[in-house]
Amino acid sequence: MSDPQSDGETDPGADEADPRTDGGVEARAEESGLLSDVDLESVGVHAVLYGVAALFALPYLYMLTVSFQPRSEAIEAVPHWIPQTFTLEHYQFLFENSLIVQWTINTFLIAGVATLLILVADSMIAYALSRMDWPGQSVILVIIVASFMVPYYLNIVPLFTIVANLGLVNSYLGVILPAVASPLGVFMLYQFFKDIPEEYEEAARLDGFSNFQIYTRIILPLSRPVMTALALFMFVYNWNAFLWPLIVLQDNASYTLPIGLVSTLNAQIYRPGRTMAMALLASIPLILVFLVLQRYLVRAVELQGVTE
Amino acid sequence: MPYLAAFTVFLLWPLLKGLYMSLHNWNPLFPSESEWIGLQNYVDLMSDPFFWNGLWNTIYFVVLTVPAMVVLSLGLALGVNRNVRGKKVLRTIFFSPYVLTISVVAIVWLEFLSVDFGPINYYLNMFFGIRPEWLTSELLAMPSLGVTTVWWLLGFNFIILLAGRQGIPERLYEAARLDGASTWRAFRDITLPQMRNSILFVVIIQFIYQFQVFGQPYIMTTGGPAGSTRTIVYYLYESAFNQQAYGYAAAMGYILFAILVGVSLINYFVIGGDSDE
Repeated sequence: MSDPQSDGETDPGADEADPRTDGGVEARAEESGLLSDVDLESVGVHAVLYGVAALFALPYLYMLTVSFQPRSEAIEAVPHWIPQTFTLEHYQFLFENSLIVQWTINTFLIAGVATLLILVADSMIAYALSRMDWPGQSVILVIIVASFMVPYYLNIVPLFTIVANLGLVNSYLGVILPAVASPLGVFMLYQFFKDIPEEYEEAARLDGFSNFQIYTRIILPLSRPVMTALALFMFVYNWNAFLWPLIVLQDNASYTLPIGLVSTLNAQIYRPGRTMAMALLASIPLILVFLVLQRYLVRAVELQGVTE
Repeated sequence: MPYLAAFTVFLLWPLLKGLYMSLHNWNPLFPSESEWIGLQNYVDLMSDPFFWNGLWNTIYFVVLTVPAMVVLSLGLALGVNRNVRGKKVLRTIFFSPYVLTISVVAIVWLEFLSVDFGPINYYLNMFFGIRPEWLTSELLAMPSLGVTTVWWLLGFNFIILLAGRQGIPERLYEAARLDGASTWRAFRDITLPQMRNSILFVVIIQFIYQFQVFGQPYIMTTGGPAGSTRTIVYYLYESAFNQQAYGYAAAMGYILFAILVGVSLINYFVIGGDSDE
């Protein structure tokens, strides 16, 4: 992409401008001053980007196509990128004979409740840390920020004994409550709340608002975008969580999708179609959420990048 | 403050309890009968070949994935930042695997890399007459997990680096152009220094994250072949939840912690050390 030679060199073949020039070509032309150069470079960039994108999409295509193939076709040596015989037998089987619907409900409950609790708990503490004065505040902030450094897996063994002592093994709460302790959201919201101008708050205080009213009526409405981004990120994160549900949930019917999916792997003869259909069904809810709300998720990731 | 309650019970308290457990021969059934053994768990770890094997496997995995992921996502981010058609489509494709759970990713790649039925081997066989044993040979198993991981998590880095690049004021490039700077010069003297914070963040976060790799080997190779993909967290998991060696596993957790803090600090000083902000 940043070709060191592209500057001084003029490719004779590139003199005829590519007819398929895009709208931004003027800007690009100004950029290097040589129209021919720009076109060749632009074509190259497009080729590389779309080439990589095609490679990225292949696993999806394979999952999709195999899930509609009968077993005999899927285990042929020749891969069929388009099913020769189109069948829904795997999907039918899964809906009739597997716990996938139950697992989807479990996952939805766990990720949903965890996200709600995270939003409430994180926004309250972030509000208290950023907008109120109380003793020990700065110490707590430092501890929370420092806990970012703690690798998650350091904690799983003692955490498991604690969850076990609380009688939460094999319960949804045993998965949900530790998720609420994550410092990520606190930090994101703290950064955002801190930058809300003081004037709003002062005006509200003059009107006799209590701290709680300021929090619910001023801070929360103002932070809807960041809350949405956080909510989406946390939902995806908890939906996909693997290790912790694997440890806590020990009964087939209480599994989340990620765990249930893996539990089916060893138990059957080689049926790529069924496996792929299952993987596809497990991904569809989040893929849909992702396609519709992508910008919020992108925002949540970007926010993490600037917290540093 | 509900958060502080959760934070204390499920984060701070385990942290302290983990330290306490790591100094005991922990008895999971009757914790009060656990025997105090001081640093014995740590001493044992130092002479445990499985621990060292896990550590080296993990380092190998980190070396395979982190640089590849950062360079590739930086390249894609800079590419998409240019005047390309269909930016949104590209962004969606690169970012999308990130919303998949590791189970789905692992299962799809298991089929993709299947020795006898997978499309990759079919084409390799057709053109080169080879059928590599991707996940069942010691040579290729870890790189295969690496490729899977890069596909899965590249998007996260891509988004952060794209945002970092978009945060650079265009006037810097205009000024450079007026001075006749080449694309390469602009990249070296504007893009890289301006994006230092984003790059630093991505490198540190990926180090921490990849060091804790678990799902890929657990699902795709169960640590094999011959333990060549048994990573440190995998070993920790097995020690605790298969062998009930809780104290031992807790000690392993603390060593992991020390390594990650150390690595983060090194990263910080190597990439961000000359920061003047």
